[in-house]
Amino acid sequence: MVERREALAKMFSAKGVKVDTNRGEEYYDSLMKTMTKRLDELEKSPAASRASIQNLLESEGVTRRDFMKWASATCAALMLPSSFTPLIAQAAELMNRVPIIWLELQDCAGNSEAILRSDAPTIDELLLEIISLEFHETLMVAAGHQAEGQLANAMETFKGKYLCVVEGSIPMGAGKEWCTVGAKGETFEEHLRHVAKDAAALVAVGTCATFGGVPAASPNPTGAVGVQDVITGKPIINIPACPANPANITGTILHFVLTGQVPELDHLNRPKFDFGYRIHDNCERRAHFDAGEFVEEWGDKGAQNNFCLYKMGCKGPMTFNNCSIVRYNEGVNWPIGAGHGCIGCSEPQFWDKYAQERPMADTHFKAPTGGVEKSVDEFGLGLLTAAGIGIGIHAVSSIIAGKKEGDE
Amino acid sequence: MSYKKVERMTSFMRVNHWIVAICMVAAVITGLYIGHPYYQSFIADPAATKYVMAWNRWIHFMAAIIFDVSSIVVAYLYFFSRFEKAYKKLIPTLTNIKEFGAVLFNLLTLNRVKKFDSSHADSFNAVFFFIFHMMLVWMLLTGLQLYVHGLGSGLSAIGEWWPAMLHLATDWTVAVTGGTFMDVRISHHYTMYAILVWVMFHVYYQIWRTIFWSEGDIGIVVSGTKFVKE
Ligand code: HEM
Ligand code: SF4
Repeated sequence: MVERREALAKMFSAKGVKVDTNRGEEYYDSLMKTMTKRLDELEKSPAASRASIQNLLESEGVTRRDFMKWASATCAALMLPSSFTPLIAQAAELMNRVPIIWLELQDCAGNSEAILRSDAPTIDELLLEIISLEFHETLMVAAGHQAEGQLANAMETFKGKYLCVVEGSIPMGAGKEWCTVGAKGETFEEHLRHVAKDAAALVAVGTCATFGGVPAASPNPTGAVGVQDVITGKPIINIPACPANPANITGTILHFVLTGQVPELDHLNRPKFDFGYRIHDNCERRAHFDAGEFVEEWGDKGAQNNFCLYKMGCKGPMTFNNCSIVRYNEGVNWPIGAGHGCIGCSEPQFWDKYAQERPMADTHFKAPTGGVEKSVDEFGLGLLTAAGIGIGIHAVSSIIAGKKEGDE
Repeated sequence: MSYKKVERMTSFMRVNHWIVAICMVAAVITGLYIGHPYYQSFIADPAATKYVMAWNRWIHFMAAIIFDVSSIVVAYLYFFSRFEKAYKKLIPTLTNIKEFGAVLFNLLTLNRVKKFDSSHADSFNAVFFFIFHMMLVWMLLTGLQLYVHGLGSGLSAIGEWWPAMLHLATDWTVAVTGGTFMDVRISHHYTMYAILVWVMFHVYYQIWRTIFWSEGDIGIVVSGTKFVKE
């Protein structure tokens, strides 16, 4: 009840999903000034990590030209005019000035994997390598008390300045004490609260950290929730998806480097420049949707002809994300391009309500009356049958026993 | 025994009734297609020349827009109609509750105790139609919420005010139905069945009344009049 009411209150204060791509010269002039000032300050501050993007790009064989191409693409992705491109490039070079503490909670580590495991890393992914990762639970060499010492050290040195990136959900239900971290055995909740306290902002990466994700799927045995359900009074940026797109993570961190502020967010605290549009609106199969050409079965003629995947359960029409534009792995491909429908992984409760290989109308949900799971149509037909029987009984008894006006 | 002719529906009300009925059938047929495309397009044609889903959605939205306008007008008439102000029969006053009970009791006892004035729209009728109008409003709100998702840019052919207004008017349906856009869709689909149940009963009740009250009730929606004994 309380949750519902809170959600309702939030909805009424929703900022809407309007994506404003042209805010006028005055706005951009002042933004340019803010950003230049901020970057100058960062430039003077000592590098928190010694890795530099130039060296890294050189060693990976990425040319300056490629780097500048990336900068202009990222500029467009952040919905800024092209005059900001040099600032983006400069910000990328200064990414090692912003300290980051990366927590790994209840999840599969898929977001870290998505960044680390690509065989030909994109510039986005390389950038995530040079950010000043002060502490990363999955990646660091240190363990036990040594690791905790590092964390305490980083939190002390960069107090109020670091970004706390969180991956994974937080178990809050019965048995939450089974999920502990570190030599002191802090529960995930304690750990998160502890690190979040002195953070400049929190970035929840992946759907588990944003909305609870797969661990929160019904019946949610661990009482898993997202970061925004635990932490209050701190700016929180949500970058859902399973895994979150490295391009969106970098974009958000870059935005923070550039402005020192969180980007404009939608009602679910997702950056509008990433989550402002539906998958469906920029999908390459959309013409087939409008034409009514659907894949009916895996591997059928429709599938061979790249027909729309709606009848195979594509949830693109209800999902806000930029996969259809940015794609994954250096724009190589994305789920719908590879022939599987969207499972709505960047929406809340996606595992229970979106991730089925059939349209919503054919999916088995808990019926409003409870009991066995039924599809909406099965429940509806049941309702119609019940009404039909009721009417039938009334009609027959009216004919047999009913009294007409006038018969006495 | 002689009968007196009484007017029950103005010509405007009758036109509205049939428009709503046609829109309803159109919305159900196209809505079910949208939910689960149940027939195939001609595979041989290229995608660019057939807009099967697009036409279904077009018809669905056109039916919806007509509903929109009709609902606003009906809501207005509830209070300001010069013919019969429906809200007067909805307020739970003692007379209205008694009348509601009497009509329902007569229906359940197979027309044995018809102790109410059937020359005007009774309270039972008013409540029954009010439920229908509420369900229609709910379809509108959930439908428009689903619709505004496609206007992510905040722009539309008729200006920015349209998506902005839709967000203001319908965003709360997400929270009420369960917190996700899919819940809105599920609710939109369930409510369709509730409306169909309503329609079944509505048609049945009109026929039943015509037969058992013997006052020509079915004619109300065609000629606008029925007959009551003098
Ligand atoms: C009695 C009236 C209506 C009925 C019976 C009806 C029925 C349906 C059904 C069954 C669906 C499919 C849901 C699913 O399983 O995915 C649907 C979808 C939809 N309906 Fe309605 N509907 C009605 C009125 C409206 C109204 C007034 C609107 C307002 C604009 C509307 C807008 C929509 C939209 C936007 C969709 C989703 C279509 C898409 O995204 O392509 N509907 N409707
Ligand atoms: S594949 Fe999915 S996102 Fe693409 S057009 Fe079809 S329903 Fe929309």
